[in-house]
Amino acid sequence: MKHFVLFIATVFTILFIAYLNKNQSFLVHDQKPTVKIFTYSSFSSKWGPGPVLKEMFEKTCDCHVDFLEGADAGILLQRLKIEGEKLGADLVIGLDQYDLQKAVVQSNWRTLEFSNLDIDPQIKAALKNEFFVPYDWGVLTFVTRDNPSIEIPSPLSLDQLLEKPFFRKIALQDPRTSSVGLQFVMWVLKIKGEEAGYKYLSQMMRQVQSFSPSWSASYGLFKSGQADLVFSYTTSPLYNQIEEKNTHFKALEMVEPNPVQVEFVGIPTSCQHCDLAEKFLNVMLSVEGQKVIMEKNYMLPVFKKAAEGTAFEKIPIPFRLMNVQFPTVSDIDRILKRWSDLRRESNL
Amino acid sequence: MIVAFFESVKYSGHMVAISFLRIFLGYYYLQDAIVKFKGDFLVRPRVAEMISEYLPASHAPEWYKWILSTYMVSHWQGLAFIFLGIQLSIAISYIIGYVVRPTALLAGLFTLQMLYLSNPASHDLLKILLAVHIVFAWLGAGRCLGFDYYFFKRVRGFWW
Repeated sequence: MKHFVLFIATVFTILFIAYLNKNQSFLVHDQKPTVKIFTYSSFSSKWGPGPVLKEMFEKTCDCHVDFLEGADAGILLQRLKIEGEKLGADLVIGLDQYDLQKAVVQSNWRTLEFSNLDIDPQIKAALKNEFFVPYDWGVLTFVTRDNPSIEIPSPLSLDQLLEKPFFRKIALQDPRTSSVGLQFVMWVLKIKGEEAGYKYLSQMMRQVQSFSPSWSASYGLFKSGQADLVFSYTTSPLYNQIEEKNTHFKALEMVEPNPVQVEFVGIPTSCQHCDLAEKFLNVMLSVEGQKVIMEKNYMLPVFKKAAEGTAFEKIPIPFRLMNVQFPTVSDIDRILKRWSDLRRESNL
Repeated sequence: MIVAFFESVKYSGHMVAISFLRIFLGYYYLQDAIVKFKGDFLVRPRVAEMISEYLPASHAPEWYKWILSTYMVSHWQGLAFIFLGIQLSIAISYIIGYVVRPTALLAGLFTLQMLYLSNPASHDLLKILLAVHIVFAWLGAGRCLGFDYYFFKRVRGFWW
């Protein structure tokens, strides 16, 4: 036992000395203010828009930008609620329209004056709140491949998805854990009305190949050929085309108006460097910032100008889009509870 | 001591495969510890983030959750240092085969702790690691291709 204690003590001592040596370089870092940005991991990861925006901002602000990561928007809100001021977030990036009401109930936010922004008219409704500003958006639809194992009509309607050829061919997301999954449920309920919508969702349970916990998991299943259709973004095939040189995927035209997902950024009242946070927000909303977000996040820019001359300009945006909805927290909870009941009843 | 290190293969050759697993696992822990040390694990609240993110949903006892969220989140620097120190100790001990039995018990407790604090996606791996640490402690995996053989022969006792 003496050997063990000595061994552990030696390792910890060596680690401590190494840490002290290493720490010298961080002392310089502390002299500048650090803007803490709380966001989901794919935004701040090395392939996301975060690092490029950080570099752009740090060139002009005489400050440092630190990303605090959460797995997704749900985790962001949970941590904001639990840790509040202790978290020290100056800016929160990545809430979608279904998170906003919850965010307002759970935390306090600074009022932002961006109502006069000349954003894309398709998402003008997203400016109707005073605490959050949209920074990108996407249109959701079903995506398929060039030679699916079934014949897919174009335009495709929601009702056709319940027909026999689509049995176990559709990859969807669990609305309790995926914002895209929640988009699908809200879309159906909006198009069909509540009761008919639940009936439709109940029938859909049998048709679906799987309800994945996240969008990426469902898209992976689709890409590996386990499903012929996946509920995704109209920009997804462009991602495959640019990043993977794969041109075999296409977004389908739908009979019904397509749902829209808008992502927002907000500044909590507990911010330490509120002015810098607002400046970072302005960088995100600049044409250059919008281009970075568009090209790294594969979402549409809120200003049409940012897409000019890029591949994103050629993405056909459906003629009819659904208005951006802001359901209350209790509405979402009630809908998710009902969906969970339907899922349980389907015994799948 | 060096002679005993290699001589151990002759007298406890039946444990060579276990020793391979031990050294491999030590290398795995060493790699992870180096990445954490070179990165920002010690200077940014990664541990606090992990606790805040995964502890609320974990199956840890309530008193344990309370201690972690009340005291450990605010003292994340000390906790990060302890975590890294333990990982490094496991790595070195497993690679050179020294004090493997007590270290394996420590590694088991550390893995159990990580089961409460980490992403559910890694739980399967952690459970397997837990079983491996228990087997190392059970067999005294440092006695083959390790310095434990030297002490086992001379000092004897439960811990070798």
